[in-house]
Amino acid sequence: MPIITISRQMGSLGEEVASALSSKLGWELLTRDLLMDRFFPEISAEQRSHLAESAKFYLSEYKDGKSFKDVLSDSLLQLAEKDSAILLGFGSQILLSDNSNAIHVRIIAPDALRLNRICKQFHLAEEAARELLASRDRKHKRFVSHVFGADSSSEELYHLVLNTGLLSVDECVAAILSTVKEHSLRSRITSETKKEGSRDHQKSLPVFKNPSEAEFARILDMYQIEWRYEPKTFPVEWDSEGNVTLAFSPDFYLTRFDTYLELTTMNQKYVNKKNRKLKKVRELYPGIHIKIVYKKDFLELAERLRGSAFPADEENADK
Amino acid sequence: MKEISYKKILFTEEQLQNRVKELGETLAHDYEGQDLLLLGVLKGSLFFLTDLARATKMPVMVDMIGISSIPDTTRATGIVRITKDVDIDITGKHVIVVEDIIRTGLTTAYLLQTLETRKPASLEVCTLLYNPDRQLIDLPVKYYGFEVDRSWLIGYGMDNGEIGRNLPFIAEIEHH
Repeated sequence: MPIITISRQMGSLGEEVASALSSKLGWELLTRDLLMDRFFPEISAEQRSHLAESAKFYLSEYKDGKSFKDVLSDSLLQLAEKDSAILLGFGSQILLSDNSNAIHVRIIAPDALRLNRICKQFHLAEEAARELLASRDRKHKRFVSHVFGADSSSEELYHLVLNTGLLSVDECVAAILSTVKEHSLRSRITSETKKEGSRDHQKSLPVFKNPSEAEFARILDMYQIEWRYEPKTFPVEWDSEGNVTLAFSPDFYLTRFDTYLELTTMNQKYVNKKNRKLKKVRELYPGIHIKIVYKKDFLELAERLRGSAFPADEENADK
Repeated sequence: MKEISYKKILFTEEQLQNRVKELGETLAHDYEGQDLLLLGVLKGSLFFLTDLARATKMPVMVDMIGISSIPDTTRATGIVRITKDVDIDITGKHVIVVEDIIRTGLTTAYLLQTLETRKPASLEVCTLLYNPDRQLIDLPVKYYGFEVDRSWLIGYGMDNGEIGRNLPFIAEIEHH
């Protein structure tokens, strides 16, 4: 299930972003305190205060030979399996770093602005606020570094790093929502036919192989039909050692219509090989919708759109 | 004055009228007692829409929608936009988009995407002519008149340079 983890600096408005996101999506917002109660129901008041004081205490035993860290890891992974949720802090970005359904977000703000916000929020003088901020930052850094051996400020851990010195809470929420939407789509494309052996390359740079593909992409844009360029490869033949010897990478995937399109600019007589490949893809990857756009059809479509055949026939020119 | 020229007649007036009558009966049966809106796509579906509406022996609402592709001088293709929107509020109504012909399905896909956002009770497609092999997008074409494998056609709403729409039959035209 989709999960959003939010790591934040103190005074960055990270809680506000998480809470606004939770109400927009209708997903539960799981804070450190809620997770503590849920994951460690048998914790004593003394243990709780030890954990709050020293990150190293997470490495000590909670019960049945398992440390607090072990229980935290297991419980978070289980939670991510069955629920959509927003996780605030608690090293969740590191524990779920390999989870392809998780989006990791870090909310930051310039130090001066954080200081200013802390002064106002807690009615503190600047010096006291500075100390509070420094101590919280230190404590957080120590928790992540001692428990997980990681640096929470490392940008590589996150899909998005958002600066509330430059963005409003609403803008942060909008950025996260649109990332979640796109990411879920990519995850769906990746996971479909994965077990049959399809290969995903959505993260590689899309480069059109010829002008026809670029023109076809423009036609799809015209009709507001959402597409992805060559998102996947479907191996269809292997040698005796299991190496792929023949594969098919359809040019376009129409996300809303769940259809792959292969554009061919070759003459009809050279298309037979492609048709055979297509037949194999359909056999090996059942349930997949692939269509070939033949040169003749493509040229006709482009011609109708340019209106050269029927200049006055605009409304009919696109079919 | 422009001459109307065509290669050969593919569907005669009688064939068209008989098939449209059958489609009308099917619609009346399938949508009995329901709020049905026949939404024609300008201008190609004009004659099919009027005949179909009259062949559907039950109260139906009729409206039309127009879309056009606007050529862009800087690019090979332009943009598609709605030039005449539906006047009737389609929310909660059963809507059938009435087309003259579906070729690649791109126009229809665009229309369906647009209409879906207005939350009709149901949204189906009825096209007079249909070429499933050419279709790039699988559309919910619930009703169609005839399958065709030709695409340069004239008559019964379809034109060649705005001429020929009022022919009572459908013919194939020369295309070079």
